[in-house]
Amino acid sequence: MKAAVWICLLLPLASAIVITLGGTRISRRLAGYISTASTMGSFAAAVFVFVRMLGEGAGGRTHITTSWTWLAAGPYNFGFTLLADQLSVMMMLIVAGVGSLIVAYSVGYMDGEDEERRYFAYISIFVFSMLLLVEGGNLLLLLAGWGMVGLSSYLLIGFHQDRPVAVAAAKKAFVMNAFGDATMALALFLLIQHTGHLDYATVFATSPHGGAVANLIALGLLGGALAKSAQIPLHTWLPDAMEGPTPVSALIHAATMVTAGVYLIVRAHPLFENAYVIQDLAAGLGAATLLMAGLIALVQTDIKRVIAYSTMSQIGYMFVGAGLGAYPNAMFHLMTHAFFKALLFLAAGIAIHAVVGEQDIRKLAGIGKLMPQTKLVFLVGSLALVGIFPFAGFFSKDSILAAALDRGWYGTVIWVIGMVGAFLTGLYAFRLFFIVFTGEPSAFAREHFHAHDGQEGPLSMRWTVGALALLAAVGGFLEFGPIWHPLSTWLEPVATPFAVPTHTQEWLSSGIAISAGLAGIAVAWAIYSAKRAKAPRALPLFEKKFYWDELYDLLWYRTGDLAARGLYALVELPLIAGSLQAVTGGAGLGSRELGRAQNGLVRSYALAIAAGVAVLAVVFLAAR
Amino acid sequence: MHGPDIRWYVILAALLFATGALGVMLRRSPLIILLSVEIMLNSANLLLIAFSRLHGREDGQVFAISVMAIAASEVVVGLGLIVAMGRRGVELDVDKLRTLRG
Repeated sequence: MKAAVWICLLLPLASAIVITLGGTRISRRLAGYISTASTMGSFAAAVFVFVRMLGEGAGGRTHITTSWTWLAAGPYNFGFTLLADQLSVMMMLIVAGVGSLIVAYSVGYMDGEDEERRYFAYISIFVFSMLLLVEGGNLLLLLAGWGMVGLSSYLLIGFHQDRPVAVAAAKKAFVMNAFGDATMALALFLLIQHTGHLDYATVFATSPHGGAVANLIALGLLGGALAKSAQIPLHTWLPDAMEGPTPVSALIHAATMVTAGVYLIVRAHPLFENAYVIQDLAAGLGAATLLMAGLIALVQTDIKRVIAYSTMSQIGYMFVGAGLGAYPNAMFHLMTHAFFKALLFLAAGIAIHAVVGEQDIRKLAGIGKLMPQTKLVFLVGSLALVGIFPFAGFFSKDSILAAALDRGWYGTVIWVIGMVGAFLTGLYAFRLFFIVFTGEPSAFAREHFHAHDGQEGPLSMRWTVGALALLAAVGGFLEFGPIWHPLSTWLEPVATPFAVPTHTQEWLSSGIAISAGLAGIAVAWAIYSAKRAKAPRALPLFEKKFYWDELYDLLWYRTGDLAARGLYALVELPLIAGSLQAVTGGAGLGSRELGRAQNGLVRSYALAIAAGVAVLAVVFLAAR
Repeated sequence: MHGPDIRWYVILAALLFATGALGVMLRRSPLIILLSVEIMLNSANLLLIAFSRLHGREDGQVFAISVMAIAASEVVVGLGLIVAMGRRGVELDVDKLRTLRG
């Protein structure tokens, strides 16, 4: 059991090391297979842990294994501790499971790319970091994994090093994530100060209850979660991160890493419950994000960016769930979202792959006619995203919205926003679907489309997408609040929810959400498919993404630039440069004046020596 | 101890030193300046030997001998320079030799 936990964590690391050290001795394809095999091995180990855990009583499912004392500083000891409990095993299954499908997909997608080995080494490192994040047995290891997923995300966004846009996007992601890491680190410092430890159990039992300190701790953790999960106000990096290869977008920026913020809130929920204001803030920010991202997604023209905004929006739902105390529902949505969002990205990847990297939906228009299988799986993914019965999103999203109804007026407001979001989801998802996959193929698509050995894509890409489509289609049946709820029961000992909807609320929310989604689809159909209505002009507000980038440019870049210029004019030039000039000028003047004494007259030197001796003699005599 | 009292030696040495110092400061010929330096050195030697005798210790005399040796080498260098200047027709006046002024 404990060995399996370690194997699950270390296999991807081993794969990264082997690929890196192997260098050109291993072929490009072999690197991909090593990476796939290691991730699948991790998944097998995770399944093993899960099956063993099933055989145990609900109370005894927490396994802590410490290999060594990682960090000892004075009275503080932090072990290299792994924790396997109901929550982390669920995350392990998602990360390693969806991860292995996406890595296997990459073998086909990255084929022929320069530096495939580097790609597979990076993605192995990412899987390792993500597993460290979810398996870490104390907050320090969680932070270590947190930073490392940020690093691997940076490396993979900037994988195409020769494209300045990709490099800029990587830097943007890294800086915003580093901001979140810093606020998290500050929260951990406060925790060490007040509890003396970072072990989950100790910290949760002894951290301060209410008051400014509890609020600050929760706020710091929330800052990390917001940055990692691309929620307002730290969300602007995610759309730019689409510069990375498509499987990276699927794995890191849809299925796993960006949902780490939700995991953090659920994992550290006692700390957030100690500071309910901050927890409510998390829900509010999630609601704001889901609405804003849905609106922006309506006008994007890059297929991956539309899906990226959809990811932000769906994570907004998860934040609503976690913030309102419906932890199992948030985790359930995290899981189904990992299925259908990875599916959408990978299906989009097949289409992009088939037309040699074009991502503009206006150029891709009508490609569905050439790729019927891809069209089908994309339709499954879109239906799951919108939440149409019986696809996965229906079960998970609605249960979050139902839980919102259980939380008074605040919850009701969020419920309304969530319903508007559901309508928008239907609209933008099917705008994308109708434009790209229905109608006659555009000239560009017709000209550039090339089949892969008579198929729509390589085998490794087709079977993985098929598997994800299956998961997205049936994954939701894991739980349906009014009738059966094995997932909630499973997570109950780790994260006890305090927002539990009644059956009436469940049925009501499901009914309204599905109607809103269908309404969105209908509007999308009316505008984009039937071409009966002229597409309305996009609001500049949406096209400019609510001016967040401009705002940050104004707030940080321009003010920083202004401050630097001001300091240059007021401090640098007069004080620093001026003082240096004074020093050099003074030295020059002094030496010029002193130089006059050296007049070249030997006799005057002799006189000076004699006079000096005389003075010394007088001084000695006087001093005696 | 035989011979005059120590104060006579000191007085003589002081007179010699003053003579040499004045010579260095007042005369212009490098040759005379060199001579005056020698006089100053020898006044110091005189004191070294006188006090060495007074205290009955030899180290002062050893010092005197090494001062003589160094003075001899210094004179060699100095005279060599002066002869070289003379051969080149440089005017032997230290007030005119001020190329090294600052």
